[in-house]
Amino acid sequence: MEFQIEINNKQILVEEGETLLSALRRNAFRIPTLCHMNRFSPTGACRLCVVEVLGKRDLITSCSHPVEEGMRVRTNSPRVIKARKSLVELLLSNHPDDCLYCQRNGHCELQWLAEEMNVKERRFFGKKNTWYPDYSSTSVARDPAKCVLCSRCVRICEEVQRVTAIDFISRGNQTRVNSAFNKGLNESSCIHCGQCIQVCPTAALLDISHVEKVQAALSKDKKQVIFFISPAVVASVTDTLGFKSKVKARDRIVAALKRCGAFRVFDLGTAHDVNVLEEARILSDRLAERGGGALPLMSSCCPSWVKYVQSFRPGNLVHLSEVKSPQQILGTLVKTSYAVQEGMDPESIFLVAVMPCVAEKYEASLEENTHKGVSDVDAVLTVREFFQLMRGFGLDIAEMEEEQPDRPFDTGSSAGWQAGYSGGKAEAVARELFRIMADPKKEQFKFNLPKNLSGRREIKVPIGGKEIGFAWVSSIAEAEDYIRHLEDEQREDIHYIEVMACLDGCAGGGGQPVSRGFEHVRSRKRICVEMGKANPIKHPGENPAIKSLYKGKRLLPDHPTALDWLGRQFNKK
Amino acid sequence: MELGHILNKFPNRRREDLISLLQSIQDEYGFLSEEIIHIVGDYLDISINKIFGVATFYDNFRFGPLGKYHFRLCHGTACHVAGSATILKELEKLLQISHGETDKNGLFSLEVVSCIGACGLAPLIEVNETFYTNITLDILKDLVHSFREKESAAL
Repeated sequence: MEFQIEINNKQILVEEGETLLSALRRNAFRIPTLCHMNRFSPTGACRLCVVEVLGKRDLITSCSHPVEEGMRVRTNSPRVIKARKSLVELLLSNHPDDCLYCQRNGHCELQWLAEEMNVKERRFFGKKNTWYPDYSSTSVARDPAKCVLCSRCVRICEEVQRVTAIDFISRGNQTRVNSAFNKGLNESSCIHCGQCIQVCPTAALLDISHVEKVQAALSKDKKQVIFFISPAVVASVTDTLGFKSKVKARDRIVAALKRCGAFRVFDLGTAHDVNVLEEARILSDRLAERGGGALPLMSSCCPSWVKYVQSFRPGNLVHLSEVKSPQQILGTLVKTSYAVQEGMDPESIFLVAVMPCVAEKYEASLEENTHKGVSDVDAVLTVREFFQLMRGFGLDIAEMEEEQPDRPFDTGSSAGWQAGYSGGKAEAVARELFRIMADPKKEQFKFNLPKNLSGRREIKVPIGGKEIGFAWVSSIAEAEDYIRHLEDEQREDIHYIEVMACLDGCAGGGGQPVSRGFEHVRSRKRICVEMGKANPIKHPGENPAIKSLYKGKRLLPDHPTALDWLGRQFNKK
Repeated sequence: MELGHILNKFPNRRREDLISLLQSIQDEYGFLSEEIIHIVGDYLDISINKIFGVATFYDNFRFGPLGKYHFRLCHGTACHVAGSATILKELEKLLQISHGETDKNGLFSLEVVSCIGACGLAPLIEVNETFYTNITLDILKDLVHSFREKESAAL
């Protein structure tokens, strides 16, 4: 049912049951919020969204109040404005005030609010908290001094990722966000997805920065710094800088990195191709009951998902595909075969991944991802850190010339682009499986993606006379619900599940630029889809680098198949 | 650690059983150890971080063992007016611990609690469920001394 309410003397049409905030925002009334998150149940914790409703004694929080017929609302009366300003001043009362030294300087929601509310001086002097910052994790850092207790990280960790690695500890002015027994994230159930960094309004949650490490390596003569860039990063840069579709963002990034002193710059596409080829081969083996493992095959390219299975669902370890993630595939290739070919010492190579992900930092640090004590990937930069590095070198990607990545890893098929969003990789694997198993004269490949972006999706693809079920889920909550549903219903018609731990896949990854909202996630996904379509190499096997790697189906003389070399085993954690 | 008999009292394994379950366990073991929280988390399928968050919200839960003599000093309004702040200072000096702590020998622990409900007898202290009323600094000294004597005699 629809009815009218009055906002600032203007009549607007609202839907029964919606919150006042959603009605206001839909009608272009800008209301400041801090604890509010789209897609989440309201908490009303920060109270910044207060409005005045005529006839009500108190100000009400518009984020949690449903619209009522005949409501007359003032969104900017002097009382409302004074209340909001006081709220921000109170939030600032125990804030460290070190904006100049803060990583989020310039893109901090608290800073914006203070500016918006015209806060010019300190009115309240609160006791500053003295909780230690937590740098124990390999991917996510916490600084409780900057925390405003909005609970966005706590809610996303619990409701979207079902991990609850952090929660409010203690109460009153002792409250802080921490993990159990105040032990630090490293010893918690954290899966390193970085969604908490994405939602944090201040600098209370940050990546463990690798920027300085990379800068130091770039300045050393003995180190040859090799970068590789993920297609999802190219999409993210295109979106952030608002490039038109004909601008070759990847080639500009390559040119910029070369100006920083990079020895070589590679495209991660080839590793995505290896990953898809191997995963399709594993799937065809498992369908034919060869080589062990269980169906449905679950993708293992997302390190957060792998960590989740290792800690919470050890029973599903046999379902994971044994191939390494694209980052580690390229890491292995560069530090072994490429180094041998070029006559380089692997120890002199400093390999830097530029990823839309913070969990890759964790993955790169694992002992299993080292060869003879040399890690395959030495540093991982998120998109945020990449921009920081560029600024540090005084480079603007928009002004760069275009330069091709270096051979042999200079290109990739559309599979790499498809890995950037939820559902894309499932399609790439299905396409490859079709090539392995189907007779192209009799069958035609059909994989019609539903238009809807997120959520659990499944599709049946006829391949080789069989109906093969492909499914894709993004976020651990969806994965958990879907796998439970498969188990409860004892369904055996799903053969492949693509799992991405971040909402909407890597397009919504934890390493993407923060505070940019879900519309940017959609836009990054759209760019990935477009780039994938525009890519002339449709099939992983057509990538020239793949052709030379898989010569005679042997990757290297002493490695009979790719999997002996680019595979891995999973242990319970 | 054997918790089966307590867990069995909560056969439905509901989230809302958490606080009563923790209380029952603390009644028997005196405090909530890391191990206990892990067992409860497995039993109720709740993250240990969540349990720790809930348990730290309530003053009533403890995460370390109590001393053999557990002092509970009333800090209600009447006791406060009758000088419980001075008593606390003296007690911390005598026991050589601050409130909320247990000493290294596991002999004494000190907790400040809100009104015990015997305001007419303020200020008062409870030690192992025995009440000592109308406390003065001299009574306090004698009390702690007597506990120490008793312990050294037992050795």
